[in-house]
Amino acid sequence: MTDQAKEQLDGAQLAILANRFEGISSKMGNTLLRTGRSGVLNRAKDFSCCILTADHQLLAVAESLPIHVLSGPDIMAASMVEFHPELKKGDAFLHNSPYHGCSHPADHTIIMPVIDDDGTHHFTLLAKAHQADIGNSIPTTDHGTARDVYEEGALIFPAVQVMKDYETIDDIIRMCQMRIRVPEQWYGDFLAMLGSALIGERELLALGREVGWETLHAFTDQWFEYSEKRMIDAVREVPAGTHSAQSTHDAIPGTPDEGITVTSTVTVDAEAAIIDVDLRDNADQMNCGLNVSEACTRTAAYIGVFNSIDHTVPKNAGSLRRVRLQLKDAGVVGIPRHPISCSASTTNLADRIVSATQRAMAELGDGFGMGEVGCFCPPSTSVVSGTDPRTGKPYVNQLFLGHTAGAGAPHQDAWLTMLHVGNGGMCFIDSVELDEVYTPIHVNTRRLVPDSEGAGRYRGAPAIEVEFGPVDCRMEAGFVADGKIHVPQGARAGHASQPSEQLRRTRNKEIEVLDQCSIVWIEDGETLVSIAQGGGGYGDPRTREPERVAHDVREGLVSRERAAEIYAVAITEGGEIDSEQTAALRG
Amino acid sequence: MRFACDTGGTFTDLIVEDDAGGLHMYKAATTPADPVKGVLDALALAAADMEMSLADLLAKGDMLIHGTTHAINAIITGNTAKTAFLTTAGHPDILVLREGGRIEPFNFVAPYPEPYLPRALTFEVPERIDSAGGVHTALDEAAVIAIAEELKAQDVEAVAVCLLWSIYNSTHELRVGELLEAHLPGVPYSLSHQLNPALREYRRASSTAIDASLKPLMGRYLGGLTERLTEAGFMGRTLVLTSQGGMLDASDLAQKPIHAINSGPSMAPIAGRHYARDDSDAPNVIIADTGGTTYDVSLVRQGRIPLTKETWIGQPFRGHMTGFPSIDIKSVGAGGGSIAWVDAGGLLHVGPQSAGAVPGPVCYGSGGTEPTLTDACLTLGYVDPDYFLGGTMQLDAGAAAQVVEDKVAQPLNISVMDAAAAIVSVATENMVQAIADITVNQGIDPADSVLIGGGGAAGLNSVFIARRLGCPTLLIPETGAGLSAAGALMSDLTNEYRATFFTTSGEFDRAGVNRVLEGLRAQCQVFIDGPGSGAASNDIEYTVEARYASQVWEIEVPLANDTFTDDAQLAALVEGFHAMHEQIFAIRDPGSVIEFVGWTATARCRLRAGDGGRLGAGADRSVSGSRKVYFSGAGEAEAVLHDFETMASGVEHQGPAIIESPFTTVVADADTSFQRTAAGSLLMRP
Repeated sequence: MTDQAKEQLDGAQLAILANRFEGISSKMGNTLLRTGRSGVLNRAKDFSCCILTADHQLLAVAESLPIHVLSGPDIMAASMVEFHPELKKGDAFLHNSPYHGCSHPADHTIIMPVIDDDGTHHFTLLAKAHQADIGNSIPTTDHGTARDVYEEGALIFPAVQVMKDYETIDDIIRMCQMRIRVPEQWYGDFLAMLGSALIGERELLALGREVGWETLHAFTDQWFEYSEKRMIDAVREVPAGTHSAQSTHDAIPGTPDEGITVTSTVTVDAEAAIIDVDLRDNADQMNCGLNVSEACTRTAAYIGVFNSIDHTVPKNAGSLRRVRLQLKDAGVVGIPRHPISCSASTTNLADRIVSATQRAMAELGDGFGMGEVGCFCPPSTSVVSGTDPRTGKPYVNQLFLGHTAGAGAPHQDAWLTMLHVGNGGMCFIDSVELDEVYTPIHVNTRRLVPDSEGAGRYRGAPAIEVEFGPVDCRMEAGFVADGKIHVPQGARAGHASQPSEQLRRTRNKEIEVLDQCSIVWIEDGETLVSIAQGGGGYGDPRTREPERVAHDVREGLVSRERAAEIYAVAITEGGEIDSEQTAALRG
Repeated sequence: MRFACDTGGTFTDLIVEDDAGGLHMYKAATTPADPVKGVLDALALAAADMEMSLADLLAKGDMLIHGTTHAINAIITGNTAKTAFLTTAGHPDILVLREGGRIEPFNFVAPYPEPYLPRALTFEVPERIDSAGGVHTALDEAAVIAIAEELKAQDVEAVAVCLLWSIYNSTHELRVGELLEAHLPGVPYSLSHQLNPALREYRRASSTAIDASLKPLMGRYLGGLTERLTEAGFMGRTLVLTSQGGMLDASDLAQKPIHAINSGPSMAPIAGRHYARDDSDAPNVIIADTGGTTYDVSLVRQGRIPLTKETWIGQPFRGHMTGFPSIDIKSVGAGGGSIAWVDAGGLLHVGPQSAGAVPGPVCYGSGGTEPTLTDACLTLGYVDPDYFLGGTMQLDAGAAAQVVEDKVAQPLNISVMDAAAAIVSVATENMVQAIADITVNQGIDPADSVLIGGGGAAGLNSVFIARRLGCPTLLIPETGAGLSAAGALMSDLTNEYRATFFTTSGEFDRAGVNRVLEGLRAQCQVFIDGPGSGAASNDIEYTVEARYASQVWEIEVPLANDTFTDDAQLAALVEGFHAMHEQIFAIRDPGSVIEFVGWTATARCRLRAGDGGRLGAGADRSVSGSRKVYFSGAGEAEAVLHDFETMASGVEHQGPAIIESPFTTVVADADTSFQRTAAGSLLMRP
């Protein structure tokens, strides 16, 4: 049978097979979530699973972190084949090299080719999970100030074989166990990823036997065509034109004093049905850990686009054909080169790429784009470590004690708990009780901050204040907090949100300002005080529906004064709209 | 005589068990504004059928078991009580923040959910217990009294109290309860440590908030039910089904109304387990209950019905998590009313939109304009337009075919029959994915399972679902159309008691665990001696929630013993955990320490000995002959018609065939063989 003779599937068969691939990727994701050990995996849901074609095209993604998968898995799978041209059934590879397509070194990834009994490679599976520790020089996986990969200290695995004939290669595991802090936890996560890949492989092999490999390959081609067609329609809805927007990351050690500004220029070509995102007008790579890997640069631009258009377009290699990216070689965003560090690649500066891109999209037309989402990484999501006095044992883990970050969108208020834009709100928020059991801390306060939202026709999320400290011990906390100087901006006359804050309350109850990028010891009796911001608003707040303003006032999120001043809505003491006054205010 | 009455969204199902053990099934329309009327209407149907007065029928009844959607409907429609939320100072946003998480990360149209109780009615109580159970900040009683006065001023109707760490030290919560009784008399309240003593403050707070908000309403509803039944002549015991698959006296349930959230649907697996036992050796059972708008899937794993604490009212992350243990039921928007549509890219979708009961499918002729799964089945010849619901409703087959032609066949450029078959295939796949989801979560392989098709519309595509899943056997029970009501007759008086106590396999605190188990056993005994007195038999079952060290999601493992006296028992428990973990997640980590977190004892009192009875034949029309039908792939076929109720048992038949009863239609294609079993079910091999 030749390619021309490939069978043509109808709209029902396509729907059914698409469903089955999605089912398999979500089964992989579910396994990983339920069996993972580290908090960052099983609480923050900082993992992803996907299926690629044998020629490395992204086919199906379980609902996972946007920043993990839209691009990167394709490059990683290609590097697997480049380094291991003779793939065999039962092989699996560990990959975390940002120089070969991984998002950042903390995202350990298991790649597994799906090979039938005749030795034909049909698909490739990825299970990727952010690790609690990867053996860096300091106990954090996001080393913002690392001069290079050597100071960062991560073990780098560019598609290194860890399984052969379904048996793990223990040399690699022993290396990791000698180098990674809390090795049992790492090994548990490693097993969880392997289990996830094996379940995916088992299911895909069964599907191939049931439906026939030829039919599956016919499906993938037609599924990409369908997705591309959906994308063409979505692109053509956006008003054509070109717009640039900028978003600036605050300065940290290793960056210029004015911080790092990301410029994204978006061009919508309606006729060709292409969205072009040009990221070449950006700085060279820098001696810090903020450089954005190629995978994350590409993905961040894609997220900026997909956040801005019809959300029902499938995300895969087919729809991605309609987004053209232009990247800078050896840029701070673009394609950073070894040995520069990409340690914090998935969050800080990548978020700025998304923000600039979706704000540029917003300026192209009302109804598209979004405000800037609140910045990562507040002290409430610190990596904390120390010795637990209750057990005498060392601990290290990332907390997710409180975040909001959501931005106003064209037709809806913010999703409150976004964490940061690359996470898309998938992250869980830790239970205070659970954190107090697992970690020797006490959480004094966790509450939303009134009058802190980025105002707009659709508003951003309010900020959140979290205060916590160690119990009967000292605690080391690491965070790289953005958004204090350069706050998230609104879109289309929406307002910016308030600055983030990183504070310490001392034993005599005085407040001290901490560096935005800190590895800091909090002593017994002291607390960390974190203000994590929401995102910017969308549209002019004076056009916000008065009932929405009244609701916010009744719920204690917005004061009556702010309602009048910013939204031009008069609210009575009883929480009702004063229509006459409002009409006067709105003129 | 016993009555089991399950109020659903559209129909109120009644099964009457006569004194000889025979069953009789009736369906009356549900009256949403007055659900008790639906119950009485169904009972009146039964009385008429048995040729006696309603009062005479009711006077014969020992027991009425009721499944109700009243609680869940009140939540969905926002008709619960004005309820205040009292929580630890510094943590007012527990119900706002929830546990984070989201579905559809690129969807910025769906709103962030409002908290179950508003911030405007949230009050911070100055106090704090620490994670070791010590008093970090003493309770400010004057502040609580001031809050109570404020609640009075605001005419609050119920109060939910959830303080941090009340599960380790309940003194503050108890004191708040006392102060509320003194300063806000007559207003019902719920305390989190009493209702749901579980770690994770959001889940505990959410259960408490839901429970408190239902108290006034469910108190009135259940009071009204018992009163009107008594007035009509009923002198027996009124029991209500719980989300955990048991039942409680109506007056007990009114005290803890959160138990009624899944009242009704929770019975499907009880019935499924019973019918599977009769006719299958498979270790696991998958129960699929097809309604007009939802498809509910539940499981039995090696005789046990798995529970979950992650029951959502509404969509995950967009609705509210009950945080309360409940039978694990996966519910998706798929059913006879699911609408088929073709998108701009030429892809066929079925659902999630539904035509519901009103206007319903196009063939109902009640104003529906979009093709539904029911319209497709009618077009394919699966449903007889003259014998729908035993002929009580005439269907318009021409209109159904026309709308399938216009809205699906033409856009896809295929024949109307292929289009109708494609609608069935896509709907089947949606249902299969719902089953796949829950079986993956619970570690069940469909190949080792029997599929039970419940609900009036189950028979239309269950053969295809079973085949796609690799289930070797499909069973359609004769009471399948009223599966929950049938399950109600088999359920036990059940109550569950739980305690949080942390220990590990490495440093197992045997004395501490024994103390906890003894406490739970004592609580069970009080229940057995109280509501359970006079039961035919009773037992107590113990389970523990456990996980590998540093995991955060527990799995439930049964205990083989109620005290730990030697190391062999611990070793058996540890092995039981490894085996369960491997079954569910495909991996085990024998080197890892196991953490034991929550302990549960379930008291179960069987109110009656013996097995379920058989349905008496009641149809006045016997089905025979054949009908033209159309199958995906195979095309047109002549299907032999069988009458479900009068079919002889033990005779093997081969499809294509249609098996009909007044309540249901079952489709068998040419590859399917089937027979009626001695127990009355239709056993099919797809």
